[in-house]
Amino acid sequence: MITPVLDIRDLGISFGGLKAVDQVSFQAQRHKITTVIGPNGAGKSTLFNLISGALKPHRGQVMIDGVDMTGAAPEHTKAAGLSRSFQITSLFPELTVAENIRLAAQVLETARRAFLPISRSARAMSKTSQMLERFQLTHRRDELAGNLSHGDQRRLEIAVCLASEPKILLLDEPTQGMSHGDTADTAKLVRSLTEDVTVLLIEHDIGLVMDLSDYVVVMHQGRKLAEGHPDVVRADPAVQAAYFGHH
Amino acid sequence: MTPIDYLQFVLAPQVVNGLALGVAVVLVALGLTIIFGMLDVINMSHGEFYAIGAYAALALAAAGIGFWFLLVLVPVLMVPLGMAAERLLIRPVFDSKDRHVTTLLVTFGLGLIVEDVLKIIFGANTQRPPTPIPGATEILGIILPNYRLFLILIGAAIVLAVAYVVYRTRLGAMVRAAAFDRNMAASLGVPVSLVYAGTFAFGVGLAGLAGVLLAPIYSVFPTMGRDFILLAFTVVIVGGMGSIWGAVVAGLLLTQVQALASLVISPVWTDPIVFGTMVAFLMFRPQGLFGRLGHA
Amino acid sequence: MHDRLTQSMRASHLLALLFVLVSIGLAAMGAATGDTFYLRLGTEALIFAGLALSVDLLLGYSGALSLGQALYFGIGAYVSALTLMKVPSFWLAMGAALAATLVAAIIGGLIANRVRGVYFALITFGLAQVMAKVVYNTRELGASDGMIGIPVIEIGLGPFSVSAANPAGFFLLVLAFIMGLYALTAYLLDTPFGRVLTALKANERRVPFLGYSVWQARMAAYVLAGLIAGLSGALYPMLRGFVSPELMFFATSGNAVISVVLGGVGTLIGAIYGSVLLVILKSIIGSWTEHHLIVIGLLFMLCVMFLPKGLAGLVRPRIEVLLNRRTQTPPASAEPAGLSPIAVKSGSVS
Repeated sequence: MITPVLDIRDLGISFGGLKAVDQVSFQAQRHKITTVIGPNGAGKSTLFNLISGALKPHRGQVMIDGVDMTGAAPEHTKAAGLSRSFQITSLFPELTVAENIRLAAQVLETARRAFLPISRSARAMSKTSQMLERFQLTHRRDELAGNLSHGDQRRLEIAVCLASEPKILLLDEPTQGMSHGDTADTAKLVRSLTEDVTVLLIEHDIGLVMDLSDYVVVMHQGRKLAEGHPDVVRADPAVQAAYFGHH
Repeated sequence: MTPIDYLQFVLAPQVVNGLALGVAVVLVALGLTIIFGMLDVINMSHGEFYAIGAYAALALAAAGIGFWFLLVLVPVLMVPLGMAAERLLIRPVFDSKDRHVTTLLVTFGLGLIVEDVLKIIFGANTQRPPTPIPGATEILGIILPNYRLFLILIGAAIVLAVAYVVYRTRLGAMVRAAAFDRNMAASLGVPVSLVYAGTFAFGVGLAGLAGVLLAPIYSVFPTMGRDFILLAFTVVIVGGMGSIWGAVVAGLLLTQVQALASLVISPVWTDPIVFGTMVAFLMFRPQGLFGRLGHA
Repeated sequence: MHDRLTQSMRASHLLALLFVLVSIGLAAMGAATGDTFYLRLGTEALIFAGLALSVDLLLGYSGALSLGQALYFGIGAYVSALTLMKVPSFWLAMGAALAATLVAAIIGGLIANRVRGVYFALITFGLAQVMAKVVYNTRELGASDGMIGIPVIEIGLGPFSVSAANPAGFFLLVLAFIMGLYALTAYLLDTPFGRVLTALKANERRVPFLGYSVWQARMAAYVLAGLIAGLSGALYPMLRGFVSPELMFFATSGNAVISVVLGGVGTLIGAIYGSVLLVILKSIIGSWTEHHLIVIGLLFMLCVMFLPKGLAGLVRPRIEVLLNRRTQTPPASAEPAGLSPIAVKSGSVS
């Protein structure tokens, strides 16, 4: 049997009595796009925080590629191969676009190189150039990340996540605040990512979710309401009541 | 020396002096903690505003104005000074990325300037105004200077008045709203920028009032703020930045610790003990004894 | 492949080179005219420049304001003084100061790095204050008077030897040492290790999600800064023949912060120019009035409010432009970014 690259088992956390995430279990299959959907306050971002180590779960397990990473610090889940983006763009605004990517890519280098000039980190450097090209940011490479347009910042954020060659990519609303055209481009981009990584996505744009996802997990009030193929989930009456009913 | 004598002639006066010092520190710390709690600004020049108050009292007293009138006049005169400082120095950097550090540095620079200006105007010598209330009272066989007793009483009155304004009045509610969420307060019609300037000026006025009250006991010299402010900072941290009651409790407690430590151990070790307490609090309970004003 | 931070640092290096050349020139002039006073003053300025350098490493790169960096400067000075009184050896004194500040900075770092921001500033301030008062009260360390009578030493450098009493010789030695610390710091900041420190300042919360431990990076920056301050402090008793608790007081830490802000936060070389500027301001203004604090305070405030990169911020970008013009084959006119080799290549592909 193949181990799933991400295995969430009975995950839960509560804040002062409120169960923000409760008994959530699902698996993400390699090189597929698994999307978590649900109305506002369903616990999607909290779930991402639990998986990436930003929060420690009160119960349950997070297995990354067969290794138990429950409650591990973010730098450790990162080392285990998990990279994440943030709903509110979190870059290094005072550093250049290239440096934002290079900082993420330098984990690819051996420890010995940590104390050699960055120009000697050939692998991180070439990875940076590669990412700049792939995300069409090469012409902006020396601009400060804080000066980019919103859409470019969102793309840079994905580039930063991908630069460290993770196994799993957690993308928290990558199309948030984007224009219609940019959203379509981003969707194409996310689809292309599955060549290298497994994608776990939070997304609000239902049309996009249905087109893009291989698997959908629906959350409602901290719990998993349904999961399955997009078409199956869409047809689920409970989901329709809880989620699509609002739209 | 019998234990009773020790109590009467050594311990009790030490405790009362410690209490007077405690009230003094609380008065200085009060403005500091309000400015931090409401504006999120570490006012490094607070000690210098305290010195300005003391010098203003000295100069105005020389012009023939009586002590009681000064208690009102000096703080009132300090308000425009505080307003100006807020407008010219704090406001321009208030929205910079690292507000704490920037405002700390700006007010640090201001402190250097004020200290030197005071030196130019008044000279570097220590001056001591006469005690407004001379004499002493004997309570339970303990002889206590009248002015220190007065200081303790008026200090308590000031703290209560300030707490009343901040926690119980509409003005205080507006100020706390502005501290909690600037945009929300603005949308509710709170004149936020005026509230900020007013709060800073209020804190500065309190420092001036402390200067008037403490000059007769601790003397007046250009660097008087520098020594005192360290203790006041410790009090603010231990009490919880922005907490009025925290400042009171921490101020009284720390000065008692100081008074007793100087008796039991040695006066020279009081500073390490006090600053050690500050470090320990920052390590294990950075929010201090009582959380924070406006952010409860 | 070029890198903008590396390029900015090259401008700093050019300023450093200029600094060294002017210093050597002035030292030669001083030696020729038999000057002692100014050479010793200059040496002192350099020693305090080392302290300022350590403050800039923390404030300008890892983004932490230390108000008590004089603690490590003082520990270095006292340990060096104590060592020199037992064994008058330069290398032994420096080694002992290094070891002592290493231990102190690890302990201090464990304490101070529990908090951040303004609390970090206050805790470093408190730590220095506690230690200064302890030294002030310790009779074995000379209490409030400090320790005097530290012997003049001969400093052996392979085949050569310099006496600490030789104004020009010792000035050059201190110059070499402090610029060595500058070079080392600049080197480290241009490595992957150093870049994680700059990431702390830019957005600390994002750092762990890139795979780096924030705590480790903050500790590394803190200990490194402590060592730089301690090694600089170790030179002080060699110059002045005494140490006093004032070396640990807030005034010393405060002066270092002023130097960094005047010279330019986050430029490294700015800290060194700033320290020299502070000494010049003090002695020039001090020669006609004792009220130099007004001028320094005013300049300091103006820099904080209007010149966040200090004097280096005025000069360095111009040097960068000059350097870029020289290294890039096509003249860098409208958009230097678009003219880098890689950008041109990608432009032709897409």
